[in-house]
Amino acid sequence: MATLSTSNEPFLTRIKESEADKFMQKSVAKAQDAQWEKRPASRKELGHWEDWRNLGEQIRQHVIKYLPDYLEEFSDNVEKRGGHVFFAQTDKDAVAYIKKIAQQKQAHKIVKSKSMVTTEINLDKELLKLPDTSVLETDLAEFILEEDNWDEPTHIVFPTLHKNRDQIRKIFQKLGYKGSNEPGEMAKFARHYLRRSFLEADLGITGCNFAIADQGMINLVTNEGNADLTMAIPDTQVVVMGMERIVPSLKEAEVMDNMLSRSAVGQKLTSYCTFAGPQTADESDGPKDFYVVILDNGRSKALGTDFEPALQCIRCGSCLNVCPVYRHIGGHGYGSIYPGPIGAVLSPILGGYEKFKDLPFACSLNAACTDTCPVKIPLHKLLIKHREVMMDKMKIDHSFNNVLMKGAGVATATPIVFNIALKGGYLGSAPLAKKSKTSVDNFFHYGHIEWAPSLAKGWTDVRSLPRPAKGSENFRSWYKKHQAAKQAQAKEEHDNG
Amino acid sequence: MDKANREAFLNNIATHAKRPRHQLANHPFKPLNNLPESTLSGKTQDQLLAIARHSSEEVHVDFRTTAKENLAAAINDYLQHKNIQHLILPTTDLWQKFSLADWQNQRSTEHTAYWEPRADRQTNVQRAQNADGAIGFADFLLAESGTIAVATVPGQGRAFHFLPTHYLSIIPKSRIVPRSRQAMLYYEQKIKSGELTTSNINLITGPSNSGDIEMVLVVGVHGPLDMTYMVVEDL
Repeated sequence: MATLSTSNEPFLTRIKESEADKFMQKSVAKAQDAQWEKRPASRKELGHWEDWRNLGEQIRQHVIKYLPDYLEEFSDNVEKRGGHVFFAQTDKDAVAYIKKIAQQKQAHKIVKSKSMVTTEINLDKELLKLPDTSVLETDLAEFILEEDNWDEPTHIVFPTLHKNRDQIRKIFQKLGYKGSNEPGEMAKFARHYLRRSFLEADLGITGCNFAIADQGMINLVTNEGNADLTMAIPDTQVVVMGMERIVPSLKEAEVMDNMLSRSAVGQKLTSYCTFAGPQTADESDGPKDFYVVILDNGRSKALGTDFEPALQCIRCGSCLNVCPVYRHIGGHGYGSIYPGPIGAVLSPILGGYEKFKDLPFACSLNAACTDTCPVKIPLHKLLIKHREVMMDKMKIDHSFNNVLMKGAGVATATPIVFNIALKGGYLGSAPLAKKSKTSVDNFFHYGHIEWAPSLAKGWTDVRSLPRPAKGSENFRSWYKKHQAAKQAQAKEEHDNG
Repeated sequence: MDKANREAFLNNIATHAKRPRHQLANHPFKPLNNLPESTLSGKTQDQLLAIARHSSEEVHVDFRTTAKENLAAAINDYLQHKNIQHLILPTTDLWQKFSLADWQNQRSTEHTAYWEPRADRQTNVQRAQNADGAIGFADFLLAESGTIAVATVPGQGRAFHFLPTHYLSIIPKSRIVPRSRQAMLYYEQKIKSGELTTSNINLITGPSNSGDIEMVLVVGVHGPLDMTYMVVEDL
């Protein structure tokens, strides 16, 4: 399995599995609904949100435009601070380098803080291949996933959204937990369990929200405090960063931290925003040896193409939180560690169309993702672009679509055919239609279709199809009657003077 | 750093982007607006204090103010309230500045440890781990978000802020600033001028927390379980 990929199952199988997971669906809906209020409220409180978005977009576009220059400046400044930088073209390069450091340092107890990019390169499992080595994820959610036999994350910001408290309790019971399923009590257990590991760790591994080019520091934005302990206690720290995660200075980092916190969790700032590098000579904690691994792993394929804006992403996850498709299929349905709209854009770039060709079609094109993105990535347009590329450049056979579209063109341009279709829709759908009491979930006055054959099956597999209206009651008929009534009223008013 | 490794990587980026390298000197970043500076600007220190209190309480901070002459008594109240037995304190001359030298001297050595500049990693980390309370000095309080800003120095290390169970931060009222922008400008300037040598800057907004289990907010995960800000009226 490719490291970016979380499943070998076909897309439709993944969707069916996700649909069957009712707890996951409820949890995703709950998370989306909670953020639906918190996120806009925190943005409104800041004021001038659109101007902040323009600034965020400008910062991200600027650094992507001059990316080699900023990476050069950053790496020089890390070295001036006494750190080391390695540029990894591929996941394999990055993993090999980090393994080498672990071996050189004779590190056997490794603690990690949450990092999508280390998941992307499958770092944990690779490090576990080293003899006598333990790797412990210390973010509460990642710790739960690790202890549940390395379950896959389902959300960029809330990785355990698909698990309920009873499942988590069972996972913790394997570690000796004897308490209730109350989240506070379980979190306290994790605190005590993981604290020992921090104190014994000889290597800490973190991701990087933003690298500060002119300081040679990295910036992490977190809520639990585990990342800061990972950067404080072990002698050695390895930072893994996607090559695009860079800003010019502390000033732009501060802007991005504010926008990230409000967009990801609706907070003004998260509990901990930290800017850190290697320990100075007079300090007693912090990493004595500090390594930064800068990863390409396919990102450069987006440069100079229509997909370049995808590299602006700051991994806030707000596009997931407004997406109706994500609401329905959750993270696992996407089959990529990067789910949701940004995942559907990014996964085919990093992992190729062969593996992720379905994802650009997992979209209703409602553009809610584009509207909420704090750095103005035109996500829905990039998804359309992916479809174009697959259709045209990859020579995917679209003769069927061409025939279909041509047929639709002829039908809609020929009044007699169009009228027959309008009138026949109601009668033709009668054998499949059901009618139940109108409710919030079902407000189809003429009934609905729960199963349809052929092309319509794709629709009815995931939701009901409204039955077409009666010919005498469809929109065209209603409009005609409405116009006639308006004209009659106007005439009456005219006649009455 | 292996220069060849870097050059190959950066050249690859430039080739894909179809943009030449080393253009930045002629195209430095110029922000299109000044929102980071103008937001919450022009407030008096009293207004900032009110905003800071509101923001801090929103993130579960116990927010207290005291006159400088009452600071020692306020700290004792805090220690009693939290039932703190083992305390870790920073090594700094700020104790004198805040007229706390006598308070310091009266602390029992059995129950008080210091983060010492000359001590090794193991010693300082273990002292912080053994402490159920820490009293630290912050560089700034950011009104907008209820955040303390603090740079790591030899007498007040990184783990100092994260290992103890309870945490009290002392901040002079004059150091309440509108937002994170003002703190970043300060640190940039101090680092650039060589007045500050640090490997680490923390912006800390209330106690640690997590919503990882069913999105239920749990306050107190890896870092301190609670945070108290003590603003000292020094104007």
